[in-house]
Amino acid sequence: MEEELLLREPELLCEARHPGDVSDLCFLTQDHIATASSTGSVLLYKHHTITQRVEAVQEWPDLHISGGRRCPCTCLATYGEDTMLSGGEDGRIAMLSPGQAAPVRVLEKADSCTINALAFLKQSEVLTVNSFGQLKLFDFRQNTDGPAQIFSATDDHWSLLCVDKHPGQLHVVATGSQDGTLTVWDLRQNRFPMTTLDAHQSSMWEVRFHPYHAEHLFTCSEDGSLWHWDASAHASLVASSGRPGGDEGPSGQQSPWLGLEASPKLEINSLICNKSLSVNSLDIEGGLLLCGTDSENIYTLSMPHLS
Amino acid sequence: MASERESEEISVPLPSSEDASLQATWGLGNQLFVYAADRRPAKDTNGEGSDMGHTQSYDILDLRWGQDMHGPTTRKLINESHSVFVMLQGQVTSLSGSALYNQLKEASRQYRSIAKACSLELQLLMSNTVDEGEREYYGNQVELLETMQIIWSLCEILFIDIAPGEMVLVQLLNWVRWHFSAGREMAQDVINDEIPEEHPAYWEAIFRLLLQGEIERVRKLLSLHSCSQTQPFTSVEELLKKMPQWGNLRTVSLAEFDLKWRHWREECMRRYEEGHFTAFAELERVVQVLCGDMLVFSELKDYCETWYHLLISRLLYQNPTVRPTDLAFHVQACMEEFQRAGHRMGHVDNILQAALEFDLHQVIKDSSTSLGDRSWWFGAHLTDILHHCGQIDSQKLPFGSNLREYLLLEYVAGLMSHHSLWQVGVDYLDHCPVFGKEHMKLYIENLPLDSERKANKLIHICEERDLLEQVQSICKIMGVRCSQDGRLGSALSWFLRSKDVPAATRLTEKFLQDYKENGNFSHLDLLDHMGPTMLLTQQLTFLGKYREFHRMYQEKDLKGAASLLLSMLTARAAPRHFWVTLLMDALPLLETPQVILGTSQTYELMHCLEELTQDLTRNTPTSTTPSRASSTPTPQSAGTGVTAAGSSQILSQRDLEKLKLLRLALCRNLSRSIVHEGTIVPL
Repeated sequence: MEEELLLREPELLCEARHPGDVSDLCFLTQDHIATASSTGSVLLYKHHTITQRVEAVQEWPDLHISGGRRCPCTCLATYGEDTMLSGGEDGRIAMLSPGQAAPVRVLEKADSCTINALAFLKQSEVLTVNSFGQLKLFDFRQNTDGPAQIFSATDDHWSLLCVDKHPGQLHVVATGSQDGTLTVWDLRQNRFPMTTLDAHQSSMWEVRFHPYHAEHLFTCSEDGSLWHWDASAHASLVASSGRPGGDEGPSGQQSPWLGLEASPKLEINSLICNKSLSVNSLDIEGGLLLCGTDSENIYTLSMPHLS
Repeated sequence: MASERESEEISVPLPSSEDASLQATWGLGNQLFVYAADRRPAKDTNGEGSDMGHTQSYDILDLRWGQDMHGPTTRKLINESHSVFVMLQGQVTSLSGSALYNQLKEASRQYRSIAKACSLELQLLMSNTVDEGEREYYGNQVELLETMQIIWSLCEILFIDIAPGEMVLVQLLNWVRWHFSAGREMAQDVINDEIPEEHPAYWEAIFRLLLQGEIERVRKLLSLHSCSQTQPFTSVEELLKKMPQWGNLRTVSLAEFDLKWRHWREECMRRYEEGHFTAFAELERVVQVLCGDMLVFSELKDYCETWYHLLISRLLYQNPTVRPTDLAFHVQACMEEFQRAGHRMGHVDNILQAALEFDLHQVIKDSSTSLGDRSWWFGAHLTDILHHCGQIDSQKLPFGSNLREYLLLEYVAGLMSHHSLWQVGVDYLDHCPVFGKEHMKLYIENLPLDSERKANKLIHICEERDLLEQVQSICKIMGVRCSQDGRLGSALSWFLRSKDVPAATRLTEKFLQDYKENGNFSHLDLLDHMGPTMLLTQQLTFLGKYREFHRMYQEKDLKGAASLLLSMLTARAAPRHFWVTLLMDALPLLETPQVILGTSQTYELMHCLEELTQDLTRNTPTSTTPSRASSTPTPQSAGTGVTAAGSSQILSQRDLEKLKLLRLALCRNLSRSIVHEGTIVPL
């Protein structure tokens, strides 16, 4: 058991310098990593596993500019192995492809405000959230810059900071906002969210569904907490009550994430015991949860029942 | 304290000349921006501009100090000690008495172990690198950390982890054993050797261990000697076995232990004088040590390496039940022994001497000024613990706060200029009761706002601490910056967030200007979804309603559009310069086949028109913002027509023409509506 715990300690393999802050990070292929930089550019790094080196192989500089000044690129999303989207504080979305120096397509006036997060729904549809509290759906098959649909969260226009789609049911989307509220949306409805839950005490930086166990959701926040939302009990409740008709997703039952407010069966666990500075980012893969904090720490948490 | 620090000279790579002088502005905390500036006063240049000739340098140098803890490895020290510190402060408020005391001891140990871990990591890095410069750097860091640990552990023994009935010498022996491990290593070599007694370091190992009070190991080594069964050896073995050890005699008091020990020493002396050990010179020496003979310690001082080791070794065999406060009497003698042999006393020695003499203030002062690059980590954390132990009197120093707070503030000053450690600094400021908040306000106002994310973090920090003014200030900075860059949508969201009425008003003007110039709205996704926030200012409400008017027109809801337009005009919600546009928007509504505007509504419009015309012909200042091509809902392709502020007379002519058309249309509509409504019955 001790050895297992030791094996799970992250070990630094190699490092590389990065210009500016890393605002977002994701794997494009098995050994290519794309980063969004606060200098307004997107970089593609290749990890050489044999020599244990990581180096930048391509850079798209000055993707996000406003008023002649470079402004931060805030988010990245990838689809497949050759499409990357970047969003920035200038409200512009750029579609990039590795190997091509110029962006494949640029939506100049995608948003009037800062785009805080991006998520692909399908290859041609993308969700974005912005600083005005709006969730927007963009369809790339259309020839316009603007969104196909706009959803508003609240009347107070708290920034929406993160977005993630349900792995199985594409119409269910979760977003986190600056006042710590978790909002779950049903995209088939028009304009308004399905469930709004007061969660953290301050900005929710990242929200993630577990890729294989979608009744589990994870959120992290500026107040230093990392929460695990477990709706599995609610899911079984819904299934057993056999709701007739209504919203039936592909799995044949209503998603446990819609209509949560009425349910008493949502378990929420706080995963970090000591109060720490802000938890900025998290990721979950199988039974391993990673998160990074402002105290320059990375926490590894093992969730064996989710592997 | 500031005036007593040594001054340091640093050369900066800026050109020096007669005309240029060195100037500087403060950055954040321990940061200065230094540049070369023209010495000549401005009025001497006679319109040639500030020409400094070939010596002009445009460089601004970012000068920072106290940064030796900010390297990639030592940063962990800062972060980990931060979490210990925060937890400790929480415990100070919630616990008291012995529970708190235990926590303070625990915190002190944790600080030391953090420093040790950092030191080990640096040693690893040092052994892995081949670069000379890096090795030197790591070496210096390791030395600094080791020094800090030695001083800290002594302070812990003397000031924090005190127990009145306990023998302080035991702790001091542990301290010495921890920091001087040569004896044990030698012993290990000797034991592993085939013939131990012939190992060159055999006797040295025995003496070193003896001086550290490692009696068990000494016995073991002696037993490896070939003559260990002979009488002298067995006699020494017996003496050593009988030596009173505090650990074994827990239940006795110090006085009883002292008695036992004296008794034992007398036995040693008796045997020595009877000549039991004359056969082996080295063995005699061992017994001399056990008897506490002064001369032999002088001979063996090289095995002690430092005066404080000598001090403790001597006390072990001369006065083991010494009280902490009496340690000071022996310090001078030991120091002199070493000085006579040619050793010079350095900073560390002075600090340790001050500690043994119970002069805490001197300890803190010296360690803060002479250890490393004046990084205040050591002083700040140690003083915090000592303060909570009650060892430092918390009287106010001349500049208003006590010593603990002073050191914490100095520590924070070093952190604030760092691009990531400033958050740690903010947490420390929370625990400075007198000046913390003021310092925090000033720092926060000057932290660079590189991105929205950072601004959000700062806002959260301010809101948590009730610094609402700073929140407003940050929102304003971000909003104005966005506005200058042309990102009007973002700017609006910042102003709405902070409910900044004047800024929102100015921004709305820009939106309206934008509309007049382009003929259509930008930022529709924002304007259409403003919701109740549009009620923040009158202008914003107007903008929202105006946009709604356009939407209604596009959706062919003409009646609704008309009444909305009218309500906007009658409520006088619109800015004056926009009235022409509004009135011209009424034109298509008047020209439609069916009657939309009723009689009273038409009268209203005519009234507004009159008011406006009078204003324009009077050429009042309110109409200085001239409007361009008419902005009917179907935008014309009139891209020309530069507005000139001075020629409002001429433009009013154009507007007057348009308004004439409007008057005509209004009259026609009036007649139609009267007929339609049948309100006036023809006689």
